[in-house]
Amino acid sequence: MTLLRAQDVTLGYGGVPVVHGVTLDIAEGGAGLIGESGSGKTTLARAFLGLLTPMSGTIWYGTQNLRKADRRAFRADVQPVFQAESLDPRMRVGRSIAEALPRADRHRVPELLEQVGLAPDLATRRPHQLSGGQRQRVVIARALAVRPRLLVLDEPTSALDVTVQAKVLDLLAGLDTERLLITHNLAIVERLCRTSHVLFAGRVVESGPTADLLGRPAHPYTLALRDAVPKLGGEPPVARGRAEARPAATGCPFRLRCPLAVPECERAPEVREVAGRRVACHRAEDVLTGP
Amino acid sequence: MIEVRDLRVGYAGRVVARVPELDVGAGECVAIVGESGSGKSTTLLSLLGLTEGADVSGNIKVCGVDVLKAAPRELRAIRGARVALVMQSPQAALSPTTRLGVLMRRALKLHGLPAGGRVMADAAEAVMLDPGILRRYPHEISGGQAQRFAIALAIALGAEVILADEPTSALDVTVQAEVVGVLRRLREERGLALLLVSHDLALVSTIADRVLVMRDGAVVESGPAAEVLSRPAHPYTRELLEALP
Amino acid sequence: MTAPVLRRPLPGFGDRFAVAGALLIALVVLAALLAPWLAPYPADEVDPVNALLPPSGAHWFGTDQVGRDVFTRVLYGGRTSLSIAVAVLAVSAAAGVTLGVVAGYAGGWVRDVIMRVTDVFLAFPALLLSLTLAVVLQPSVTTVVLAIAVTWWPWYARLSASAAASIAGRPYVDAARCLGVPAPLIIVRHVLPNSVTPVLVQLSLDAGGVILTAAALSYLGLGAQEPAAEWGLMVQQGQTLFTTNWWVVTFPGLAILVTAFAFNVLGEGLRNALDPRRIVK
Repeated sequence: MTLLRAQDVTLGYGGVPVVHGVTLDIAEGGAGLIGESGSGKTTLARAFLGLLTPMSGTIWYGTQNLRKADRRAFRADVQPVFQAESLDPRMRVGRSIAEALPRADRHRVPELLEQVGLAPDLATRRPHQLSGGQRQRVVIARALAVRPRLLVLDEPTSALDVTVQAKVLDLLAGLDTERLLITHNLAIVERLCRTSHVLFAGRVVESGPTADLLGRPAHPYTLALRDAVPKLGGEPPVARGRAEARPAATGCPFRLRCPLAVPECERAPEVREVAGRRVACHRAEDVLTGP
Repeated sequence: MIEVRDLRVGYAGRVVARVPELDVGAGECVAIVGESGSGKSTTLLSLLGLTEGADVSGNIKVCGVDVLKAAPRELRAIRGARVALVMQSPQAALSPTTRLGVLMRRALKLHGLPAGGRVMADAAEAVMLDPGILRRYPHEISGGQAQRFAIALAIALGAEVILADEPTSALDVTVQAEVVGVLRRLREERGLALLLVSHDLALVSTIADRVLVMRDGAVVESGPAAEVLSRPAHPYTRELLEALP
Repeated sequence: MTAPVLRRPLPGFGDRFAVAGALLIALVVLAALLAPWLAPYPADEVDPVNALLPPSGAHWFGTDQVGRDVFTRVLYGGRTSLSIAVAVLAVSAAAGVTLGVVAGYAGGWVRDVIMRVTDVFLAFPALLLSLTLAVVLQPSVTTVVLAIAVTWWPWYARLSASAAASIAGRPYVDAARCLGVPAPLIIVRHVLPNSVTPVLVQLSLDAGGVILTAAALSYLGLGAQEPAAEWGLMVQQGQTLFTTNWWVVTFPGLAILVTAFAFNVLGEGLRNALDPRRIVK
C-alpha cells in the first residue's frame, strides 16, 4: 500500500488546468517526478502536500481521500523540502525548527540540527547568516522534526553549488523516509529514486523503473531530455526536435517538438504498457529500437 | 583575441580575482569554471572594464585594445561590437516595449552599420531563429529564444569574441542543448572566440578547448579541458568532479 | 551568479535623509512634550491689553487678538496636532493592516469582499468624506481623528494586502502550512512581520498629510474648538489679520509646514534605507 497516490488528477489555478488527468503512485524506494519549466511538476507537488485541491480526480492518502482525511495525521506523515526561501528571513532558525515541534519537544532542536550535520549553536542564527547548504540542512531538519514517513523534495539542491549539493544529496540519501523528488536534474533522480515519472505539459508521458527509463527511453521526450544532458567528457549535448515549440493543444502534446511525429499523433495517445513501463506514445516501440 | 597577464581585481583592498594568464584565440573556446564566490564572473566583467569601483591591475588586451589604458571611447567601440557580452538572463536587458527587430536596428545604427532587413534576417537565421521573431516583443519569446537573440545581435554587430556568463544555466536542458549547439556552430563557421563562465563541468567538458578552474579568487588549475577534467592535478578540481551526481 | 560589483550597497543617501527627518521630528515632538516647561506664559492666559503685539524679546512670536503669546500657543498646539496625527495613523493602520493582511493571506472571496469595501471608501474624495463626517458629528478632536482615519485606512489595507499576498506565496509560508500551523498564527508570525515594511514607510510619508488635513478641518471650524491650541485652528483665527498682523498666522503655519516636511523627509529616507536592493550579504 503506497502512502500517496494520484488518481486521474487535474490541477489548475483560477479554473485553468495545468496538470491533466495524472495518475501515479509514490512507490517505495523513492519516486522521481522529472520535468522542465512549465511541466506542472511543482503544481503536482503542491497537490501531494495538500496545498492545492484537485479540480477533478482524487489524491489518496492511504485509503482516504486527502480532502476528507485527518489533516493532523497527514501533516505528521508528509513534509516538504522546498528549494529556497523556505525559511522565514526574520526568524532565528532554531525557532523555525521549533515551530514544527509541540511545546514539550522544543528541546529536540539541537538534536535535529545534529542529525542533519549542523552545529547546535547555529540555532540562534538567522537564515542570511548561514550558507546555502546550511540553510537547506535547516529546512531538512525542520521537515524531520515531525518524524514524517514521506518527504516531498522540490528541487532540493538546485540552488546550491555542486560540492555543497553532493553533501546535501548524501544527507538525503541516508534518511530513512520515503521520498518524492521533483526535479529537472536526471542525475539526481538516478541517485535517489527507484521509479520515475516524466512530466510533459502537465501529463505523465512515461513512468517506470528509473534505470530502464533513462537507460532506454520509450518516449521521445524522455530521450530528448536524456540526450540533452551534457556528460563529462562526452559528446556535446544533442538537441532532438525543436525544444521551444509550444505543447500541442490537441492530440499528443509533444508532437510539435517530436522528430518522430506522424499524422497519427494528432490523436491523443493512450497510456500503454511497453517494455516494463507505462508510456503515452504511439511510436514507443520505434523509440525503443533506436533512431 | 583575448590576452590577459597578471590580472588582479580587488574591492577595497581585498583581491577577489587573480588570473596570471588567460588567452583565447579566434575559433577557440575557453571556459572558467568555479562555484559561487570563485571570482569567475568578476574576471569576465573586468575584461570589458565593467567592474565598477574595482581596482584592476595587470595587462588586458581584447581585440588588440589595451582595456586598462584605453580611452572610454575606444572601449565603447569594442564593447557590444567586436566583443559581445551574453548574460544569464538577457530578457532583463531588453526594453519590454520595443520589438526585437527595432532593438536590433537601433543597435546597428548606433555602431554605424547598415541596418537592412537582409542583415537582420541573416543574423536571426545564424542562431536558428525564425526571422519572424524580429516582429515580436521581448515578453513574447522564451528564455532560450531571448538568449539566441542576444547572440544574433552580437553576430549582426560583427562580434569576433563572445563573453558568456552562465548563458544557459537559467534554461531547461533541452533548450540549453540548442543554445550550446548554436554557439558551437558559430565558432566553427565564423571563427568566433568564446570565453565561457560556468559552474557546470559536464557542459564545459563538451565544448571547451581549455579550462581555468577558479576558487576563492585564484586559478587553482588550468590546461586543456580533456586533460584537466579527466586527470585533475589539483584536489579541488577532483572534489568538483566527484561532486557531480 | 552575480558579480560582487552588483551587490554593493547604493550610497547611503537614504540613511542621511532618514536621520535628518527623524532629528527634525524629534525636535518638534520634544518641543510639544516640554511645552509646559518651555512656554514662557501659561497656555490660555488672555491679556487684552497686550493684544496683537509684534514679535519682540518678551513675545518671540508676538501675541494674538486676545493677547495670548503665540510662541506658547504654537508649542501647545503641537501637542494637539501631533496627537491627532498619531491617533489617525494608529487607528487607520490598525484597521487597514489587519484587514489587508487577512485579505492578502486568505485570497479568494475573502480578499474580494475586503477589497470591494476599501474600493467603496476610496471612491469618495477623501476631504469631502472627512468634511461630511465632521459636519454630522460634533466638532471635536475625536471627530477629526475619526473623520480622517475613515479616509486613510483603505490605503493601508490595499498596501498590506498586496504585500501580504506576495508573502503568502513564499515557500516558508507553505512550509508552515504543511506543519499544520493555524492560519492566524501564520499571519501573525510570518506574514505580518515580513509585509509590514512598506506600511511603515507609508505611515511616515502620510504623517505630514494627516497634519495638513487636520489643520484644514480645524481651519474650517470642524475640529478642535476654542480655546484649545491647535495649529490649523490658529491659522484659521489669524487669517484675517495676515496683512496687518502677519505673525499670528505665519508661525503656526510654519509649524505645520516644517512638521509635514520633516515626516516626508523621514518617509523618503526610510523608503531608500529599507529598499530591498540595499539589503546585501
